Amino acid sequence: MVPLKYNVRNLRVRWKTTMMTVLGTALVVWSSCILFGLVQGLEYSLKASGEPFDLIVVRKGSSNENTGGFDAVKADDILNLPGIARDDQGRPIAAKETLNIPVAERANGTRTNVIIRGVQPASRLLRPDFKIVEGQDFQPGKGECIVSRNLSRIFKGAQIGGLLQFGEKEQYRVVGIFTAGGSAAESEVWADFTDVQRNTGRTGTVSCVQLRAASPQDLDALKKTIDGDTQFRLEAKNEIEYYASQNTSGAFLKAAGTLIAVLLTFGAMFAAANTMFAAVKSRTREIGTMRALGFSQFDILVSFLSESLILCFLGGALGVLATLPLSALTIETSNFNTFAAMTISFRFGPLVLGTAIIMTLLMGVFGGMFPAIRAVRLDVIRALREL
Amino acid sequence: MKYFTYILRNVRRNPIRSMLTIASMSISLFLMMILLSFFAMNDESTSAARIYNRIVVMNANGFAGMLPISDLAQIREMDGVLAATPFSWYGGKYKDEQMPFAQFGIDADTIFTILDEYTVPKDQLEDFKKNKDGCIIGRKLAEDRNLKVGDPLPLKGDLFPVDLDLSIRGIYDGDINRDLRMCFFHWEYFDEALKRTAMAGASSTSLAGDSGRRSGNAGTIFVKCKSADVMAPLSSKIDDHFRNSDNPTRTQTEEAFGKMFVEMMGDLKNTIYWIGGAVVISLLFVAGNAMAMAMRERTTEVAVLKAIGFGKPLVLFLILAEAVIVAGLGGVLGSLGCKALCDFVDVARYSGGFLPFFYVPWNIALTGLAVSFFIGLASGLAPALLAANSSVINGLRKVV
Amino acid sequence: MSQTASIELQGVDKEYRRDDFKIPVLTGLDLTVAEGEFLALMGPSGSGKTTLLNLIAGLDRSTRGKVIVHGQDLGDLSEAEITRWRAHNVGFIFQTYNLIPVLTAFENVELPLLLTSLSKRKRRDNVMTALKVVGLKDREHHYPRQLSGGQEQRVAIARAIVTDPYLLVADEPTGDLDRTSAGEILDLLEQLNQEFQKTILMVTHDPLAAERASRTLHLDKGQLVDDKVREARVPAAS
Repeated sequence: MVPLKYNVRNLRVRWKTTMMTVLGTALVVWSSCILFGLVQGLEYSLKASGEPFDLIVVRKGSSNENTGGFDAVKADDILNLPGIARDDQGRPIAAKETLNIPVAERANGTRTNVIIRGVQPASRLLRPDFKIVEGQDFQPGKGECIVSRNLSRIFKGAQIGGLLQFGEKEQYRVVGIFTAGGSAAESEVWADFTDVQRNTGRTGTVSCVQLRAASPQDLDALKKTIDGDTQFRLEAKNEIEYYASQNTSGAFLKAAGTLIAVLLTFGAMFAAANTMFAAVKSRTREIGTMRALGFSQFDILVSFLSESLILCFLGGALGVLATLPLSALTIETSNFNTFAAMTISFRFGPLVLGTAIIMTLLMGVFGGMFPAIRAVRLDVIRALREL
Repeated sequence: MKYFTYILRNVRRNPIRSMLTIASMSISLFLMMILLSFFAMNDESTSAARIYNRIVVMNANGFAGMLPISDLAQIREMDGVLAATPFSWYGGKYKDEQMPFAQFGIDADTIFTILDEYTVPKDQLEDFKKNKDGCIIGRKLAEDRNLKVGDPLPLKGDLFPVDLDLSIRGIYDGDINRDLRMCFFHWEYFDEALKRTAMAGASSTSLAGDSGRRSGNAGTIFVKCKSADVMAPLSSKIDDHFRNSDNPTRTQTEEAFGKMFVEMMGDLKNTIYWIGGAVVISLLFVAGNAMAMAMRERTTEVAVLKAIGFGKPLVLFLILAEAVIVAGLGGVLGSLGCKALCDFVDVARYSGGFLPFFYVPWNIALTGLAVSFFIGLASGLAPALLAANSSVINGLRKVV
Repeated sequence: MSQTASIELQGVDKEYRRDDFKIPVLTGLDLTVAEGEFLALMGPSGSGKTTLLNLIAGLDRSTRGKVIVHGQDLGDLSEAEITRWRAHNVGFIFQTYNLIPVLTAFENVELPLLLTSLSKRKRRDNVMTALKVVGLKDREHHYPRQLSGGQEQRVAIARAIVTDPYLLVADEPTGDLDRTSAGEILDLLEQLNQEFQKTILMVTHDPLAAERASRTLHLDKGQLVDDKVREARVPAAS
């Protein structure tokens, strides 16, 4: 084995080339990781939204709560079903909710759709870690609303004391800012269920009912009752499965991220190969000497492959490190299911790390392979004569 | 160009290096073309809609709001209106695929007067008009799914609690950069199905309360104006007319309507641009490194050139030209190659319904080329300056 | 312009700086070379031969003193001017030939002509003439690696004379060659000196090469040493 120290020294001696290659690789890894970090953030938020004992009841056949409107009378029946968990004051943890997706103006003047959800008191318990972080909760009947922290940064009038105006009839005074454990609710505006119903002229219907079962057995029983009832024609979706199915945007981001990562890996592979070819060429005589000293062809192959791997690893590590500041990044884009605004926070995780590692390995191995083979094939006598 | 031979020979001097640099450049630019085109293409095709003199009416409150079908008749009466049709998004499932392609309920008599960039064979259009359950689909959609005139096209309701059993009566065609993956069916057929469900429901009144999804909703209304200059006044006139109704409207040009969808993408656009920027910078390193390695091997040669009378500017030019040629070749392959590929291969087909069409607009392909030239210049600059200012004496000494 | 004094050096000093040290290479050098002379420069390694050659060829500048070549004080020329001056007045011949590997013999010889405004046709005529002089007319399409060392050096000489310069400088032109090839190169230089009246300045280690010159100068520790003085084995005069 040629000691690794030899490769490290060589990388240090031609530090300019090393640095250029490392920076190039780092940028490639970094930019490939951005979308995966967002995918990870999105997946985290969807995962955080789904609780094992929670059910979302929508109209049979509709794939999400926005499209799943049904009769409020049925909703009231569901709220009274047995087996629903109770809060500490003995009230059922179940809520009727209604969704409206009006157009709102961002602070920068552009427009997008935003989810305003009419909720009942139990809705708060049905979200993980719901917290008012600024101001106070809204009071029913007063035309008040609360806004998620992420949205309050983006929309005009979405700060405490501001007025959110949707069309001529619908307007809410912002009284509080909330967070909800990174769940999907963090891309929503919340107001009182009855207020929203009245303002949107949808009295008598709900978009969905959300509820928590008291136990796994109750969960199965509730699901069977709701799904099986021909009068209802409703469907109780397990929250975890439901949110997993809402990941159309995630699929898009993942596809785009994969495209970027694959193409850039090839690009960086060629760049690494370039550097390694130059390294082999400039060390032809050294290679001849090592062979003359008794190092085998295999030793030389391993040596140059390791050097390429070290080179790419430095780049990969730097690229991954450079994603750390992105943890503060939250982007706002459109949810492809509802066309409503959705915020996604960058999240570092196995997908990001895995992408970086796979990219680094591929670049290192395939970028170093051909130069290493060339080094192995060198004729010892001629290599020694080379300048 | 008497120096061209020399520059070109230098490009080919280390063919592996040049090829690797070109490959790296072209792959990265190929990626950039795809990323940038995604947004530019939308911009271009919505801007292109300007020439058709169309305006779009929707509920002021967004898509969730109602646009009563009775508005249509009132709009048709207005001066400057050539034709108007409801344009109602159905969003049904096809073979359990969620949102497989766009489906709209429209007015069969006027739709192709309004969307006059599309062509349908006359007999097919007549057949479509006669059959209430008929539909007309785009050529690419037909090709993707191997559908022919006469085939059934059953759609299952997702947003709406009704299923539509359509049959294909015609296939429309149009330019490559128009959406040839839509499905148009009779708005009345759709609305009647909605009415039936409402009546069959236990309490029909309450379902009707869900304003966006009850019967009698036109969704949006597409209006073809008689001329370009009536578009603005007509838009305000429509909005004024409905201002005090239950459902105020927002009317905008088709261009602005399309831009609204792009705006919805929000920060995603910037994120993609950041990535593009990072790719360019990384290419600067890659190309710069290759050029620097090439120059290091040529130190003596540059000294010889300078000794025999090649001045600094000329040396600078020779090296920059080389860098630009290498990067430019990568650019030509990457950007024009991507454009050619997307023109010949229908990439959108493989997007799972996400993209109705995909092409690389010329301005983006040219931007890619410009970027590659810039990378060539910028990456060649440091090695070229170093070479131009290097000492002749040291360069000559190195050999001995 | 003096007809007899082709090259004139007056009190030339040359120092190099390395870090904070000044290393004197040439000190108080005076030299006059007549037009049409074939001058050999000899001396031990580090004596300043190549530096002297570089000063006269306009590659380097003196620290003090004047270098006048063909009536032109090189100290008066800017960097760009001196580059142009070299292109017109000096032909270079190197020990390692320094041909451009990616160019053919023809293209290598043509290189200095690219700097002129000559037409392509005229350039071709000149290149072929130069190749004929060095006896390689039939090798115009060969690349350097397809030529022998002697042939490579002859192409390099053709490149040096193609612009019809006033002065030829050769740094160890035979250093890398075997005796036969070296002899041929020296014949060629002699011919250029006698037939074409080129002033030639040649640095060499080889006494046999120096014999061909019309005059031999010895350098030691940066100063010219008189032949007779050297023969008397007296240490460098100071």
